[in-house]
Amino acid sequence: METFLLLAMNGLIWGLIIALIALGLAIIFGLLDIINLAHGDFFMVGTVLAWATLQSTGNFWLAFVFAPLVGFILGALIQRVVIQPIHNVAALSIVATFGLSLILQESVRITFGPTPRRILPPIQGTVHLFGIDYEVYRIFAAAVAIVALVGFFVFLHRTRLGTWVRAVRHDRDTAVAMGIPARRIYIFTFAIGFALAAVGGVVAAPITTVDFRGGVDILPFCFMAVIIGGLGNLPGTAAAAILLSFFEGVISSVADPTVARISSLVLMSAVLLLRPQGLFKGLTR
Amino acid sequence: MTSAAAIDRALVALFAAFMLSVPWSVPALINSFWVSVIAEILIWSLFAASVNLLFGYVGLLSFGQALYFGCGMYGVAIGISDFGLSFWPAFGLGIVVAMAMALVTGIFAVRLTWHYFAIITVVFSLIFYFLALTNKWLTGGDDGINFTLPSTFSFGGALWSFTDPTFQYFFILGTVSLCFWLMHRLIGSPLGKAFLAIRDNDVRASLIGLNVYLLRLIAFVMAGFLAGVAGALFSFFGRYASATYMFYHVSGEAVVWAIVGGAGTLFGPIVGTSIFIVVREIVSTHWEHHSLIVGVVAILVVIFAPKGIVGLWHEWLTRLIERSTTTRIETKLRTEP
Repeated sequence: METFLLLAMNGLIWGLIIALIALGLAIIFGLLDIINLAHGDFFMVGTVLAWATLQSTGNFWLAFVFAPLVGFILGALIQRVVIQPIHNVAALSIVATFGLSLILQESVRITFGPTPRRILPPIQGTVHLFGIDYEVYRIFAAAVAIVALVGFFVFLHRTRLGTWVRAVRHDRDTAVAMGIPARRIYIFTFAIGFALAAVGGVVAAPITTVDFRGGVDILPFCFMAVIIGGLGNLPGTAAAAILLSFFEGVISSVADPTVARISSLVLMSAVLLLRPQGLFKGLTR
Repeated sequence: MTSAAAIDRALVALFAAFMLSVPWSVPALINSFWVSVIAEILIWSLFAASVNLLFGYVGLLSFGQALYFGCGMYGVAIGISDFGLSFWPAFGLGIVVAMAMALVTGIFAVRLTWHYFAIITVVFSLIFYFLALTNKWLTGGDDGINFTLPSTFSFGGALWSFTDPTFQYFFILGTVSLCFWLMHRLIGSPLGKAFLAIRDNDVRASLIGLNVYLLRLIAFVMAGFLAGVAGALFSFFGRYASATYMFYHVSGEAVVWAIVGGAGTLFGPIVGTSIFIVVREIVSTHWEHHSLIVGVVAILVVIFAPKGIVGLWHEWLTRLIERSTTTRIETKLRTEP
């Protein structure tokens, strides 16, 4: 029972972090029609930036400012230099982002080194919760993820820039006719996607290991969330990420983690074949 | 008069002559290590060709071809180490397992197209990758299966086997050439034309009476065959099979090779694969971060030559010939997309 609760909690909190990353993937996919194979590496860059900030300043909290900023700038740069010239052709974007993924991984391997490292949680200690001792940092991580998720949706629905992003996604030509700078919105969206993944990386860095291959495992999981939630359905994506991760946590309390991964992959195939619009079609706008 | 087709034919002949002379010319020019690199390039070209058959000719972007490559590898390795099969039955087993897997997964996968198809093929390959990792009794997991190679032919006392590098090279060259020849015949056949019709517009193809679902499934099994042959050859070549070759990164590399070389062209996968493996072999001895170059090249090709290197070459060739015969051709030639 205790391991069950622990793994279920871990799953839930990991799901909140994954939701942040998957959300970035989903807005990039929905707006630019790009399958971004480098998205896992955006997360990985976030973890490495957290480590680098801690090393150079001794203060982990600065990473929450620094990493999204660097992520935003890198994202804008990548969109302008790599993604824009290929005019959103899906097949080419897959090759380009695959190349991007290799470049990011190798650059980190050169600068950061090939050995995985760990960051100690900046908040030590445990708290007694539902009969188990639970790490305080993980609860803090969940809170950060929730704040970022809510913040993102508020931004998307309550600010002018967010409305522009939704307008361009809905109907690009009309949006352009209304005077919305669509090209800049594309750059901005990609940059926001990178920044969200980087925040996810900073939050996750003390929980997981900092490794140049850290994004490789994350990527399929984020895609699962995007598919099960429904391509382009942002609240659905976030919900799917949390559900999936919780589900894997529950299964891995009774079976091997690989079995948990296989069952969520099978679930995803079923969703793709039976409800290609996602599980939550019709539940949201 | 020189035409683009004649130049291409001459290049192919030159290429064939070079490939036939590799076991003697390459050790004389560089060293014998490169003979096995070229054999490896041939195998991976065949694997890239299976991506190309689906994407370049039917318009389905598969990101899970590594699954069928892995089936070919495991078919051979398990056939030899567990069932004690000899060379040819093991080869056959590898191909049959790959095609059967392609048939079963294809029945579901080809119901979807575009992004959905790309994603479901990754999902299927990931499911079997994790299954291969966990079922160590069958697959050996990450460590894989090592086996001793049986001989290929034996007539009386004479034996030919892969232990002879020259025989190994020619066996691989022969098999890969046969597959490429089959693909060339396929593209010219009515079936190939039906594939192209589906690639260009699947709605119209179904309106003229083509069974789009069935044709896509046929193409998918054919691509499984090509990947299976490549996997079986690679298993013989390395004398082992491992789950790592079923990971989606392997599929991704093949997609990159095919698109960089030129999707929808017969020789595109060979060109793409050769460039990346040659770069890897040359650079990796001096500098371990060769993936950086692979990434940069992939991005540059996609930006500056979206039709791939073979596509760029054809564009350039047509323009060159057009210029030399400007008096005759007034209208601008419209090339197929």
